[in-house]
Amino acid sequence: MLTYTLLAGLLFGLYFTLIGLGLNLVFGVMRIVNLAHGDFLMLGAFLAFWLFSLFAINPIPTIPVAFIVFLLVGFPLYYLIVPRLLRAKDPEMLSFILFFGLSQVIQALATILWGTSERSIPGGQLGRAVAAILSFVTGRTVENGPVDIFGQSFPAAWVASGIASGIGVLLVYWYLYRTKLGYLTRAVMVSRDEAIASGIDVDRISAIAFGFGLGLAAVAGVFAPFLLGSITPAMGAEVTITSFAVIVIGSLGNPLGTLLGGLVYGISYMFMQSYYSSWANLLPYLLLIAVLLLRPSGLLGRQTRRA
Amino acid sequence: MHKLGRDVFLILVPVVAAFALLPSVYSNQLLLFNFIIFIVLAQGVNVIYGFTGYLPFGYVGFFGAGAYGFSLMVLHLQAPPFLAIVVGASAALVLALMLTPLFRLSGAYFSIANLAAALAVLQIVANPNLEDYTRGPYGISLSGVFNPRLAYAAALAVLAATLFIVIFLRHSKFGLALQAIREDTISAGMAGINVVRERVIAWLLSALIAGLAGSVFAWYASVFYPETVFSGEFTIFAIVFALFGGTATVVGPILGVVILYGIYNAVGISTPQYFQLIYGALIVGLVLFLPNGLVSLVRRWGIDVP
Amino acid sequence: MSPETQSLLQVTGLVKRFGGFRALDGLQLHLNAGEILGLVGPNGSGKTTCINVISGLYAPDGGAIRLDDKSIGGLPSHRLVHAGINRTFQVPKPFLTMTVLQNVEVSIAYGGHAGEGLDPRHLLTLLELESHAERPAAELNSVQQKLLDLARALATKPRILLVDELAAGLNPAELEKIAAKLKEFARSGMAILVVEHLMGFIAQVTDRIVVMNAGKEIFEGVLNDAIRNPRVVEVFLGQDDAA
Repeated sequence: MLTYTLLAGLLFGLYFTLIGLGLNLVFGVMRIVNLAHGDFLMLGAFLAFWLFSLFAINPIPTIPVAFIVFLLVGFPLYYLIVPRLLRAKDPEMLSFILFFGLSQVIQALATILWGTSERSIPGGQLGRAVAAILSFVTGRTVENGPVDIFGQSFPAAWVASGIASGIGVLLVYWYLYRTKLGYLTRAVMVSRDEAIASGIDVDRISAIAFGFGLGLAAVAGVFAPFLLGSITPAMGAEVTITSFAVIVIGSLGNPLGTLLGGLVYGISYMFMQSYYSSWANLLPYLLLIAVLLLRPSGLLGRQTRRA
Repeated sequence: MHKLGRDVFLILVPVVAAFALLPSVYSNQLLLFNFIIFIVLAQGVNVIYGFTGYLPFGYVGFFGAGAYGFSLMVLHLQAPPFLAIVVGASAALVLALMLTPLFRLSGAYFSIANLAAALAVLQIVANPNLEDYTRGPYGISLSGVFNPRLAYAAALAVLAATLFIVIFLRHSKFGLALQAIREDTISAGMAGINVVRERVIAWLLSALIAGLAGSVFAWYASVFYPETVFSGEFTIFAIVFALFGGTATVVGPILGVVILYGIYNAVGISTPQYFQLIYGALIVGLVLFLPNGLVSLVRRWGIDVP
Repeated sequence: MSPETQSLLQVTGLVKRFGGFRALDGLQLHLNAGEILGLVGPNGSGKTTCINVISGLYAPDGGAIRLDDKSIGGLPSHRLVHAGINRTFQVPKPFLTMTVLQNVEVSIAYGGHAGEGLDPRHLLTLLELESHAERPAAELNSVQQKLLDLARALATKPRILLVDELAAGLNPAELEKIAAKLKEFARSGMAILVVEHLMGFIAQVTDRIVVMNAGKEIFEGVLNDAIRNPRVVEVFLGQDDAA
């Protein structure tokens, strides 16, 4: 039981990392809490669902589609909303409220269009793709079905999302630390004012980061039908809180921090489920409050300068 | 201080009188009761957000604490309703005291932590393991004290008390101090204001208001599930109504409730997602174009709104 | 002044760190009732940090601050205000959403026993702001906001007033008036610490100055002696000019 809990926690935790990556990027660059983050994830989930239901498209190719679609949505959305917001007297609270309104609008539209019933995608879909990839990689024919890790059996979907999440973290890390655009982005993350003074086009950088953030949320959404069970238009709210917990645990701004936060969260959650299941629902909230009060700068500790 | 008397006479008395007299001409007393509850809750949000700038995203936690405080007194100790209301309000105060460490957090963090706290309280109250104490997920049923007429009267009293608190804040030095804290805590400190203490007092007042509302609600309804009295909808509506009308004033939240909750009852009950779309879009528009609510429109014409 | 006289404010070995940076590195100074002390130094020498620590914005990391021989380092701002300390800000921080009158009223209401019963309009008149009493503070120009800051500080009847770069932006006539007022306050017993870049204003108003560099004092005495001191010259103008 212990091995299973640990490994399941790791895999699940990797998924939470994926969920948190986008939120972390947006907050790190703009100091804005995107309360609609979970709702964009929901949109990505429904994108995957409709592409599958209507066109029988496998979720795996949907991933890049979701990313690009929401990257293209996020870029202009930033310009529409954020520059005006940052000029106000209290941008942090105002943006909080604004994205809350946006979240309600997205939820309402989704409910009007698609109703409140739960949707899901058969797990086998992801399994086929995972099997194909594993066969290719290992050279052996891998059957569609649960994947064996250290003798414990896990749904293929968990493994797939774990892999996707790992790739996501590496991509974000590579972007931030190995590309010129990422270098400029980190400058903006440290001090927006100084970046402006250095002649950096802060708005363009932020808009790109915002687009990435939404894109990552959508990608996490593609896996949601498999990892979280069914999807509904109202699922966004809970996801947002969870992702907030993840990024706060792991320290804001650093993608590796989100990885740590996701793993800590996932493992804690699995342990609660295994040993104290009736109280498991409390975990995200208590963890969040505990971290915020005891170690507000997160486990990796580097506090972002506020003065 | 004469402004305080003026507002009591021009605002508090007519509003309370209106809600006291309407049941004799309008039969849907439940609807009127809900209006009262939302005015009270919106004013409660007003006290903490309008006057200190902290947005209580978990405000419903105090409402639920009040409801359960009331209910458990009646269920386990067969307490008379008015005593149970006092206990319910105290439960909300205790919860608020427990949450005061959250003030170390800034703006958005505070809001999310407050929300997490309220959700945690719901999970605890609704947990099947505590069924013997809180009836767990099966909900509360208080057949013994069911008395909508008396409960409605209690609601009127709570409404009057709440409006008085807000009017007092609007015209007192304490309200000015809170405004100072909201604007600039460093400067407020140099004005001699004990920022932490005054803020906690405002927080406790705000929680008290919600706790009273919750107790009265529990009495009026007498039957409810945990999700009912810890529903995020209470928080969302209270915040939206207060923001829409305009915070840091007495009439703003009243205006917001009357208009928006009115629209909700006209349009939204049967199709709640359309109402959600409306107020969602309203909030986005509000933040972008009218961040200080409806009353700021009136203020622009030079009129000082109470 | 005899050596036995206790200074009103005594700062010894004051240390303040920001991360690895020592903004205050063992600062030593004292302030007596009725005197105006100038605090000067190049940018980054720690003058504003000194005021920030004494007024409670930051807690010191080392050293002591004593008022009436009682330790006050690390106390929150409102306690210091009640004990008789107040300050103005380099960039004025009035409450923009309140009227000018309300700004002063708040300080009178919460500033402690010393300021009880003060007439806010009297203070505004003193600083020639009475015609703006009902206007929102946001509508004032920067000079008026500085004066409002000063009015708010005075409203708590401080025994020690810390003035942070008041002179910038004032024309000579205004400087003359402010200097006269500060001297009057000092004559009535107030101790005033003036942080300033404008040497003309320092000359007008102070009895004695302390020159700071890199978080410590490097000179203490009268202005005329300071400009002849080679270390002071070096710190302000560079090594060549000291010779």
